[in-house]
Amino acid sequence: MIKSIIILIILSLCIGTAAWLFFIWTVKRGDFDDVEGPKYRMLDDDDDSPSQPGASQGEKP
Amino acid sequence: MSSLNATAPVSTGSCCSISETMASPDTCVHCNLPIPPADLVVDQIDGKELHFCCRGCQGVYRIISGAGLDSFYRNRSWDQQGVASGAFDAEYDDASLAAHVIRRDETVAEIPLLIEGIRCASCVWLLEKLLVRERGITTMRINYGTHRAVVRFNPQETTPARVLASISRLGYLPHPFSPGAAQQAAAREQRSLLIRFGTAAFLSMQLMGFSFALYGGYFHGIDPDIRRLIQYLAAAVATPVVFYAGWPFLAGAWRSLRNRSASMDLLICLGVCTAYGYSIAAMIKGGEVYFDTAAMIITLILLGRLFESAARNRSISGIDKLLQLAPDSANRVVGDETQVVSSASLTPGDIILVRPGERIPVDGQILDGVTEVDEATITGEPMPALRQNGDRVAAGSLNLSTSIRLEVTRVAAESFIARMARLVEEAQDRKAPIQSMADRVATIFVPLVTIIAAGTWAFWWFSEASHAEALLHAVSVLIVACPCALGLATPTAVLAASGSAAGKGILFRGGDILETTARVDLIAFDKTGTLTHGQPTVEQIIPAPGQTETALLELASHVESGSNHPLAIAVQTRARAAGIMPAPDKPVTAVPGRGLQMNGINGQVLAGSRAFLTDNGVEVPALDSGIRTEVHLALDGNWQGLLLLNDLLREEAEETVGKLKKLGMATVLLTGDRPETARQVSDMLALAEYHANMNPADKTAWIENRQDQGHLVMMVGDGINDAPALSMADVGCAMAGGTDIALETSDLVLNRPHLESLYEAIFIARKAMQVIKQNLFWAFTYNLITIPLAASGKLAPVWAAAAMAGSSVLVVSNSLRLGRLLRRTF
Repeated sequence: MIKSIIILIILSLCIGTAAWLFFIWTVKRGDFDDVEGPKYRMLDDDDDSPSQPGASQGEKP
Repeated sequence: MSSLNATAPVSTGSCCSISETMASPDTCVHCNLPIPPADLVVDQIDGKELHFCCRGCQGVYRIISGAGLDSFYRNRSWDQQGVASGAFDAEYDDASLAAHVIRRDETVAEIPLLIEGIRCASCVWLLEKLLVRERGITTMRINYGTHRAVVRFNPQETTPARVLASISRLGYLPHPFSPGAAQQAAAREQRSLLIRFGTAAFLSMQLMGFSFALYGGYFHGIDPDIRRLIQYLAAAVATPVVFYAGWPFLAGAWRSLRNRSASMDLLICLGVCTAYGYSIAAMIKGGEVYFDTAAMIITLILLGRLFESAARNRSISGIDKLLQLAPDSANRVVGDETQVVSSASLTPGDIILVRPGERIPVDGQILDGVTEVDEATITGEPMPALRQNGDRVAAGSLNLSTSIRLEVTRVAAESFIARMARLVEEAQDRKAPIQSMADRVATIFVPLVTIIAAGTWAFWWFSEASHAEALLHAVSVLIVACPCALGLATPTAVLAASGSAAGKGILFRGGDILETTARVDLIAFDKTGTLTHGQPTVEQIIPAPGQTETALLELASHVESGSNHPLAIAVQTRARAAGIMPAPDKPVTAVPGRGLQMNGINGQVLAGSRAFLTDNGVEVPALDSGIRTEVHLALDGNWQGLLLLNDLLREEAEETVGKLKKLGMATVLLTGDRPETARQVSDMLALAEYHANMNPADKTAWIENRQDQGHLVMMVGDGINDAPALSMADVGCAMAGGTDIALETSDLVLNRPHLESLYEAIFIARKAMQVIKQNLFWAFTYNLITIPLAASGKLAPVWAAAAMAGSSVLVVSNSLRLGRLLRRTF
């Protein structure tokens, strides 16, 4: 009983520490510096692709 | 050339991307501006016929569309002013940019930039997408909030000048930018606060698990060994929360102790330290521990601080943006040569050359050249001003039409912009920090609690109790008086109120601003752009005898259609409203600051000021136009009539001022304008007072004077000239469309250019204050009941903890009620 409790406690401490280290890493990386941007970036659809060269030229003078 | 204009079958418009922008045939697909028919450029792109107002727009459209980024046109929403035309002729050179480049290694370099002209999220998106397709540019990241960007490039493949040129080719103005020391410190501060909060939150979560077990053990029994183990673990996770995450509070408490004043920090520290110290002692002796109380107080209050500091940091960057307006380098003229020197090295008497499209680096006097100068960012006046020999120009204004030579009159550190930045800084320093309500409460509460605890100890000591028992009762008084509900009372109400305010485009920079806004009793308005629209409108058309209004308007629109001058745009708008399509039949010559001339089919047409027509031999009848701007028209030397233009009052101004008066506010007009204009505006809106001819320092002094008389002053303004007054006022309020600097030195931002928002802001603030008072009242009632119980030794600490949680829940739900109430009201 006491053994399993100790194992679980150590496990939860390890997971907590991992999450905490991950958090520190993201702050240091600057992921929280611009909290405005992600809500727009999320909506960018990346399927825009450059149109075929020549196709958009229309009539050149 | 002509083949471009060749008529092609009009597209069916079925293809999604362009059909929406095609809706209005006489506006440019790229810039959304009306197209003067003479300049119409028709182009075929992807089988669709598109209309542009100029080759420039066509070019940019081809760049964007060619890169497959058509979504820009679908997603953009432009509600801010762009960059003035003429600003793009500036050239970038590597030598002057070299100082800003940060070299990482041989193939990686970075340049930090501040980008002018970003108006919405689509601009950011477009720039990021297009720039990385340029040769040599690896990444480009723009901050949506601050418009700062870092471009990472390969110096072997491209040069900084080419990077800046590609940005300006897209219609944005890049400025090399290195953040100041104050700003870097603020950013570090923000990060460290975030890490402190994150750490406190993660550890508190762990702690909750342990506390849960301990509470369970208290009620249902627990093995003493396991209890001891869990208590040690709880102490292990709580210690860093108190001493690392809680460090700002401990330091603040120490400071306030040294100043012999009580603050919220001291109260927090008192609660945390007793809970923590008692728990440590109890753990050693084998009693109950309350580490969770200590940790939760710190975590919750750190969260409140985090929100506050994020809002506050933006005001620091305002000053930097102000200084950025004056360019770093200038062209000094020595003999026949011009050399690029840094603006800081210029001394009075030097002669510099300012080309069209450049901002003026230092204050100076024009030696030769006649030009129009855009002073909008400085004065808020929408119309370019004519400047010629002998006139003084201010640093930061934009030279629009021709090259001018200036004699430097002040060194860069003394320029208009620098003086303005200093005024802002001084005003921010001088403004007494607003003591928040929680702090005011703490000044009474802290001594009271200490006295009661000491009294409790003394009482039990002198009665029959043992030493240890007396101490225990005193400690439970301190624990019970924990500021949890007190600490939550304000932040939660502030969050609920500012959240629902943000939904209406009203931004409060922090909780203290909300409090002060609720208590403001005097509102000072700037005129241009605040009470008025900030751009001229045709108010009246007076045709000469024998002429009709329509004919006059048509004549005017023909001459004015080619011009971007605000007056011309107003005439074009009016003409279009009357169903007239402006079309100049012949080229138009512009005489800066005076008028326009066109040799049309029907004869020579003149449009411009009274002086312009009289000088050209036209007889103009005398007329009193009051404060309005006159545009006279003549055909072949005969006066045809005039248009009267005015910067009209906002439609909602009168109603809003009326509502504000009902709330008991005094309303005042502070303007740099002429007394006649000020009186007219003041009469129309029934304002209590008006003050004309005020410069920025006058406005600041006036506000300070009123503050000394005991008023709480709100200032509403939009220009750089208002920035010092905005900082000085207890609440500085800026409206959308104002300059960035005004927006960032203000405490309250109205994102919708509508005065009604101002009334809403005050209403929300007052409601929020009511809720804060209710919350505080409840928190006190809780203390009023529990402290006597604890002092008399009747309250087991576990029940105290439960009562505390209950009072916190009550406070939070009362704040949530506020959010719902506000959503229902508007």
